[in-house]
Amino acid sequence: MIEIERLDDVARAPAPGPDVRVLAGGTLVMRALNYGGHGIGRILRLTDPALREIHSEGGGVRIGAAATMADVLAAPDLAALHPAAQVVGGPAIRNMATVGGNLFAPHPYGDFAMALLAANAQVHWADGRAEPIEAMLGARGRSAGIVAAVTVPRLQHSEFRFRKVSRTKPKGVSLMSIAAHLPRAGGRLGDVRIGFGAMGDRPLRATGAEQALSGRSLDPAAIDAACAACLDGLAPADDPLASEWYRRQVAPIHLRRLLEEVR
Amino acid sequence: MTLHSGRGFACINYPIGMNLGGDPAQALVHSTPDGKFMVTLSAIDLGQGMKSVTRQIAAEALGVPIDDVYVDTADSDTGPHDMGSFASRGTHRVGNAVIRAASEARAHMMEAAAEELEVSPADLDTDGAGNIHVKGAPTRRITVAETAIAAQFKQGRTLSGRGIFLIEPSGVDPDTGEMSPVTCFAHAALIIDLTVDDETGEVEVTKINSAYEVGRALNSRLVEQQLIGGAWMGVSHALYETTEPYYPDRREGPLDFNAYLMPGPGEIVPHDIAILERPAPDAPFGGKGPGEMCANPVLPAIANAVYNAVGVRIDALPITPEKILRGILAQGGARPQGQRG
Amino acid sequence: MPKIPVRFTLNEAEVGLFVEPQSNLLEALRRGAGDLSPKYGCGQGTCGACTVLIDGEPHLSCLTLAEAAEGRRIETTAGLAQGSSLHALQTAFIEGFAAQCGYCTPGMLMAAKALLDRNPRPSREEVIDAISGNLCRCTGYEPIVDAILAATEGRAA
Repeated sequence: MIEIERLDDVARAPAPGPDVRVLAGGTLVMRALNYGGHGIGRILRLTDPALREIHSEGGGVRIGAAATMADVLAAPDLAALHPAAQVVGGPAIRNMATVGGNLFAPHPYGDFAMALLAANAQVHWADGRAEPIEAMLGARGRSAGIVAAVTVPRLQHSEFRFRKVSRTKPKGVSLMSIAAHLPRAGGRLGDVRIGFGAMGDRPLRATGAEQALSGRSLDPAAIDAACAACLDGLAPADDPLASEWYRRQVAPIHLRRLLEEVR
Repeated sequence: MTLHSGRGFACINYPIGMNLGGDPAQALVHSTPDGKFMVTLSAIDLGQGMKSVTRQIAAEALGVPIDDVYVDTADSDTGPHDMGSFASRGTHRVGNAVIRAASEARAHMMEAAAEELEVSPADLDTDGAGNIHVKGAPTRRITVAETAIAAQFKQGRTLSGRGIFLIEPSGVDPDTGEMSPVTCFAHAALIIDLTVDDETGEVEVTKINSAYEVGRALNSRLVEQQLIGGAWMGVSHALYETTEPYYPDRREGPLDFNAYLMPGPGEIVPHDIAILERPAPDAPFGGKGPGEMCANPVLPAIANAVYNAVGVRIDALPITPEKILRGILAQGGARPQGQRG
Repeated sequence: MPKIPVRFTLNEAEVGLFVEPQSNLLEALRRGAGDLSPKYGCGQGTCGACTVLIDGEPHLSCLTLAEAAEGRRIETTAGLAQGSSLHALQTAFIEGFAAQCGYCTPGMLMAAKALLDRNPRPSREEVIDAISGNLCRCTGYEPIVDAILAATEGRAA
């Protein structure tokens, strides 16, 4: 166990990787330790309270990597993301699971990271680097470092939609989750971003659906086109909840329901 | 999207216990020096109410207050032999054994009281409040506690009883295959109302109406609790639970309770239950016990309701959205079967 | 590896223990402090049987690093009753037949207590959310939801 009390001291810590894991909320690392912790050599524990802060910064909101889902739910500035935080487990998990941890949560977890992907968040590493969340998620597992925070642009609640499809209620892991950022100007959509969770080994963008909607008005024809192209960019697989076949069948249906709710 | 309503019915003729190679249950009852009674069993209480029901049965058969009866089910090393808590046999088999053991202990108690009161045991009765009195003369009495003290410190007598209840093995007729697997049956009928989403195959169970014939509901709150919880388990088996989601392929088996699905508290189904009492002649005070049949009829009723809603007949559990959707697509769309009434 | 000293408050009593490195709080409570009321269900964070309150909020003790409990205030079901007087939730669970096998009950009680401490008059939906991380195999949840509602202010039996 290596405990780091100040984020500034991260430089002297070993780089996280397969045998060095960062312990944040515990929902992933403690679970692995309870079952033998195979492959986990050392644990990095960051206790700097600054890591849990959520505050406005520039045109957006900065969320410390150790902020929990409950912290997100208590932040009025993040109202657009509340539906995504609300469905991460029950209350105990929401008190524990962190925003930073969710970025690294494997399938079928990571609904909040998926919402951040749709929101076009930036990921800030402890060493000062920053990159778009899509790049961070794309290199997940191949890169090393400690995430210090994410920043999200200020989102109009009415322009951001989240939907989680679970088999069980009110808590259940994702069969799929969808988040859509649908900015509007003058009756038309701006640059649309649509994320899907549990439709690949990491949160992915439905690029075909985004292109079908961007710059158009959200009318039935545009929705048809978006649903028809919805699987472009996604890579669903079989898991205990549903098969790849089923996921492909119902992804356009759930996207349609989300979009028709907006209209 | 269309939500199709469906209604399904199932009824069950449920055997209480199994034939096994003979099915015995034993109970021992003894009094403590202060007139309390200990019932020793090896039948285990898994939460279904074994302790509560055998305590009631023992108190009734002994004729003493229920507060003066203790049931110990904890240890198969120290308790008398029992086949176990399964096949809905607990109340019937163990309850009968407890009646026999308690009746024998009661006889010893009445003899001890008779000696103290200098009357014949046949002239005595209990009042259920801890006293033994001469029939027709309630003031000529002795307490159960005084009786127990006298029996053990003066008379040198135990107030104890042994009970065994045996369902004898039933041989199979080699020509016809006929046998008598059990001696009593419980019955239930159950109606499921649900909706099926014809685009996703998702099912929502909206209402359960049921009638259960359980002989006599020895503890009506426990019976109701078991029927409500059992119906949840039936819904869970019908629609959710599997260790092999791609059976017979064994891949993608769930590794935790996030992937091994069970309905959550957001899917509580309103359930109206009618409990019908038709005491069984060979059951303890007529009680048969709901046991497994509180879950069983839910499964076929749901399968029937899904068929009624969209015309898709699923014959492999669980009835997942995927199976229903494949069925709907294969027949070119939902085919509601219609409802009467 | 050497054991690690940790001190916390358990149901208003000071507790000092030595815990194994990388071990969880549930183990510290059960084996170290001798409080057997939180249950080990899955060790994966998927059943809620080990739910305890840390500084008043529900947490899964099986996923909490034992040494992270340093200086924190832990509440478990063992501390619910005041002397021989049961907590309103315990009374409501008994009277409402909200337990069968009882294994989920301590976690349910702590999840419910966390809700009622913050929100004494919750709606049915809020109660359902409060116990959504806690599995029950016996009751079908309805008696539990009803019992929690019965224990709320003004409705206590």
